[in-house]
Amino acid sequence: MDIIVIGLTIAGLAFFFATTVGILRFPDFYSRMHAAGKGDTLSSMLMLLPLVLYNFHEANLANLLLAMKILLIGVFIFMASPTATHAIVDAGFEAGAKPWVKKPEDEA
Amino acid sequence: MIWQLDISVLSLIVLCAFATIMVKDLLSAAIIFGAYSFLMCLLWTEMGAVDVAFTEASVGAGVSTVLFFAAVFQTTRRVGIRKSGRMLSKAVALAATLLTGLLLLIAEADFPGFADTLTPASLHVSPYYITQTLHDTNVPNMVTSVLADYRGFDTMFETAVIFTAGLAVIAILRRVTKDTPFAPPAPYIVSEGYPDTIIRFIARQLVPFIQLFALYVVAHGHHSPGGGFQGGVILGASFILLAISYDFKIVLGIMNERWNVLLGSLGVLLYAGIGFLCLLLGANFLDYSMLSKVLPATDTVMARSHGMLGIEIGVAIAVMAIVVSIYLNIVSHGKYDKGL
Amino acid sequence: MDSFFIGIGVALCFIMLLTLHRAIQGPTAIDRIMGVNVIGTKTTILLVIIGTIYHRVDMFVDIALAYALLNFIVTIAASRYFQHHKNLSPRGYGYRFRREDD
Repeated sequence: MDIIVIGLTIAGLAFFFATTVGILRFPDFYSRMHAAGKGDTLSSMLMLLPLVLYNFHEANLANLLLAMKILLIGVFIFMASPTATHAIVDAGFEAGAKPWVKKPEDEA
Repeated sequence: MIWQLDISVLSLIVLCAFATIMVKDLLSAAIIFGAYSFLMCLLWTEMGAVDVAFTEASVGAGVSTVLFFAAVFQTTRRVGIRKSGRMLSKAVALAATLLTGLLLLIAEADFPGFADTLTPASLHVSPYYITQTLHDTNVPNMVTSVLADYRGFDTMFETAVIFTAGLAVIAILRRVTKDTPFAPPAPYIVSEGYPDTIIRFIARQLVPFIQLFALYVVAHGHHSPGGGFQGGVILGASFILLAISYDFKIVLGIMNERWNVLLGSLGVLLYAGIGFLCLLLGANFLDYSMLSKVLPATDTVMARSHGMLGIEIGVAIAVMAIVVSIYLNIVSHGKYDKGL
Repeated sequence: MDSFFIGIGVALCFIMLLTLHRAIQGPTAIDRIMGVNVIGTKTTILLVIIGTIYHRVDMFVDIALAYALLNFIVTIAASRYFQHHKNLSPRGYGYRFRREDD
C-alpha cells in the first residue's frame, strides 16, 4: 500500500512540475492557459487519490466518511477548474489578448 | 509546527506582500492580495489554528478579494500619483512604518517564549478550558465553546459590528432621490447579463451544494472547525456566485435591500434575544444553563450546547445578509442598476 | 512516511514559488489571474497533506473544500471584470474615474 501511495504522489508532483514549466515557458497567454487548466486538474486528481488510500487503513465508518469527503474535493475540482479555465480564456479573448505568431526567420 | 513548511510558506508570503505593493495596477494588486490571503490561511493551518484558517479562507481569500474587484470595477485601475510632494510623502510613510516596526520589535522582547508553559495564560486560563469544556458544555471544539459560551459577550458585539458595517456601506453609498424605487424588482426576471452557457450551467448546479455545505459548516461547528461566521460567509459567497454568473438583478430580486437589513437585524436580535431570555429565566445575561427550563428534556449541560447552536444560527443569518448587502452596494455604487 | 509528506509539501511550496513568478511578472493582468488560480489549487492539496502529517485529516478536509470553492468564485469574479471593461492594461495618467463609455 505504501508503494502505491508514494508512486502516485510522485506522479502527481511530476505533473505539477510539468504544468509549472508550461506556465513559465510558453510564449503566449492562450498556450499557458492550456497548460495550466489541464495539468492542474489532472495533478490534483492524481495527488488526492493517494491521500485517500493512505488514510483508509481500516474500514470503519469514520474513515469511509473521510474518504468520501476527499473524493468530494476531487469531484469539485474536476467540475470547477475547467470552468474557471474557460472563464479566464473567454475574458482574455474579450479583452483582446493577441495570440503569438511565429516570426519567419531570415535566411541570411 | 513543521519548520520546513513554515519557512517556505513565510518566504512566499513576504514575496506576495512585496509584489502587492510594487505592482502598478490596482486590479493586479487585488489579485496578488488574494494570493497573499490564500497563503496566510495555509500558514495558520500549519500552526494548527484551524478555526482561524477557516475564517481567513472564507473571508480573506474569498469575499474580501471579490469586494476588492467590485471596488476596482467601479473606480479606476490606475494608481493615482501626485506630481508634487511625492518624495516627502514617501519619506513620511517610510519613517512611520520603520518607527512602528521598531516599537513592535522592542515590545516583542517582553513576550514569553513560543509555547512557554509558565505564562499566566498557560497556567491558569488554558488548563481550565482544556479540562472543563467537555464537562461543562458537552462541545468537543474548544474554540467554539470559548467563542460562543465563555466569551459570548465578545461575539455578540462582533456580530453587531458586522451589522453596523453593512449599515455604514448603505449609508455611504446609497443616494436616495425622489425617483428611487423602494419596491423590490419583480421576481423571475429574465437575465440580461453576458450569456455564458458553461458558467451558468455549472453555477446553477453548484449553488445548492455550496449552500448545503455552508449549513453543514454552521451546524457542525461543535465538532469540527466551523461555526457561524464561516458558514454565513460561505452562504453569502454562494449568492455572490449567482450574481456573477447570471445577472446582478436576479440576486436583487431574491435578496433586496429590505430583506438584507431585515435578516441582518434578525440575526443580531436572535443572539441578543437568547441572552435576554436567559435573563428572564433568572440567570445572568447569556448564561445558557437556564435554558433547560424552556427546552424540553435537556439538562443544564446540553442546554448550553443548544444555546450555542442558537447563537451560531443567529450569527450565520446576520453575516450572510450583510455580506450580500455589502457586495450589492459596492459593485453597483449604490445605484442598483448593473454589476460585475 | 511523515518525512516523505513533509518533503512533498516543501516541493509543492517550491512549485508555488515558480507559479508566483508568473503571477508577479506576467505582463498582463490575465496572466496574474491564471497564476492565482493555480496557486489556489495547489494550496488545497497542501492543506490535505498538512492534515495527513498531523494525523488529523478529518479537521482539515472541511477547510480544503471551502478553499476550492472560494478559489473558483474569485477566479470567475476576476474574469468577469474583463467582460465589462475590455482593456488589458490600465489607461494612462489623467483618468481619475472610469467614464461610462466602455
